Amino acid sequence: MTGLLPLADTQFAESIWIMIAKSIVIFAVIFAILPILTVVERKLIGRFQHRYGPNRVGPFGLLQPLADVGKLISKESFRPQNAISTLFILGPLLPVLSGVLALAIIPWGDVKNGVGFYGIDVPIGILYFFAVGSIAFYGLLLGGWSSGSKYSLLGAMRSAAQLISYEVSMGLALLGVIMMSGSLSLVDIVRAQDGVWYIAPQIVGFLIFMLAGFAETNRTPFDMPEADAELVQGFMTEYGGMRFGSFLLVEYMEILVVSGIAAAMFLGGWMGPGPGWLDPIWMLLKMLALVFVFIWVRATLPRLRYDQLMTLGWKVLLPLATLNVLVTAILVVVT
Amino acid sequence: MEAVLFFIAAIGATVGAIGVVAARNPFYSVLALVAHLFSLAVLFLLLTSAFIAAAQVVVYAGAVMVLYVFVVAYVGSGHEPKWDPVPGQRLFAGLLAFFLFVEISAAVLSSGLRALSTHGPDVPAGFGDPAAIGNLLLEKFLVPFEASSVLLLIAAVGAIVLAARKRSGEPGGDPRNGRQNGGGATPPGHSAPEARPEGVAPAPTASSPTLGAPR
Repeated sequence: MTGLLPLADTQFAESIWIMIAKSIVIFAVIFAILPILTVVERKLIGRFQHRYGPNRVGPFGLLQPLADVGKLISKESFRPQNAISTLFILGPLLPVLSGVLALAIIPWGDVKNGVGFYGIDVPIGILYFFAVGSIAFYGLLLGGWSSGSKYSLLGAMRSAAQLISYEVSMGLALLGVIMMSGSLSLVDIVRAQDGVWYIAPQIVGFLIFMLAGFAETNRTPFDMPEADAELVQGFMTEYGGMRFGSFLLVEYMEILVVSGIAAAMFLGGWMGPGPGWLDPIWMLLKMLALVFVFIWVRATLPRLRYDQLMTLGWKVLLPLATLNVLVTAILVVVT
Repeated sequence: MEAVLFFIAAIGATVGAIGVVAARNPFYSVLALVAHLFSLAVLFLLLTSAFIAAAQVVVYAGAVMVLYVFVVAYVGSGHEPKWDPVPGQRLFAGLLAFFLFVEISAAVLSSGLRALSTHGPDVPAGFGDPAAIGNLLLEKFLVPFEASSVLLLIAAVGAIVLAARKRSGEPGGDPRNGRQNGGGATPPGHSAPEARPEGVAPAPTASSPTLGAPR
């Protein structure tokens, strides 16, 4: 049974029960954080805008997501008359699949007692993130196209152009780190940051990655696919009930995943003071700090125009990322 | 487990390939091609080539096919010519299919069948890793690798030149389009989103009747 090895751990064999337990724990923790993130975002934006934000449901408004989800689930899952039902249903499912799959490679800690504190450590490492990330495109595209609505189609088309444009810069931004650590595996990359976190030598790469991350997760200032002022809600205009809810959920999941990748690649992953069992906590704290940056930027910056977005992606970020790769390559070879 | 995965992926690949040809709506053709490519990636994984599988998904399913979907959804269908654009293309297609079948049969009969009863090739540790493939590309196959990268660069430049010439030939074109078209090293596959006149994005879509109501 060596055929499945590329997907499983190549370092050592873990029993199947450990793998199942790990997946359940990761899944449970992340899906417990996601609803809290929604209320945190609303409260933080409220504070940024000098108002309270949600504070009626539960203590400090913490039960707000429960109320929201309850409302969304109880709504009818309708679809427009000229929508294509199979594709319309498939639309919100694919991004969820992509997000959950991407969670697997985020490293929460080193190998301890024969158990790796991560979902999987694939040899292709970060390429896995891009591979499963590409599934999410189709969710947006199918959802937008099959809705049978002009706003949805425009939103989907915008997202296709935007995601492709920024994926190139995103990959190039990570190439510097990969060259410095000499490995694609996220676990190895975190181990290589024992001394200096890669954010110091790779600050350009970090900034480009985060900028591209804003675009990839459709967040302000790059939320063109769902620009509410022009496209109502973009590709999810025609969705209601929990299908709309899963698009919302996916947005937060993608933010978490991008933050996790950034924390592992640039911020030293699980590295931090204290005993070994604190590792996952450190990782989570770093991720949440980056999530805070996402929310902060949303509250601060207005949305870009579409041509500005494309110009920034192709004429600024891409050359800059290429230059960063070149300089890093020369430095790595010289030293 | 392997056998199950193989048959799922093989059936997916075959059904996807048939779907590309059989589907009337080009959008479904493209989606079938996407399904086909994903199934191929699974087959690569089963052949312990994780890197090729990832590259397949990232490059083809993730970038190229998204542009196909993009173009098909924008341009829509309905303008299919009722005659063969190339005279006698059905005959040629049949001939080519026959020759391809003969070729594949020869390959299968000569080497594939003999390996059936054996254990199969021994796969060294690290086979199909990014590191192994990188070593092969940059040492054993350096010249073909560099030649293909130059070829890709020429294709990229050529795509930009062709697009720029067509654009500047239009009388009274929007000067903004020319400006946006001129710059940026856009790879050939990525020229589609750029070539779209950004400032007037909603107009062509809103006026096209084939878009709003896919059926």
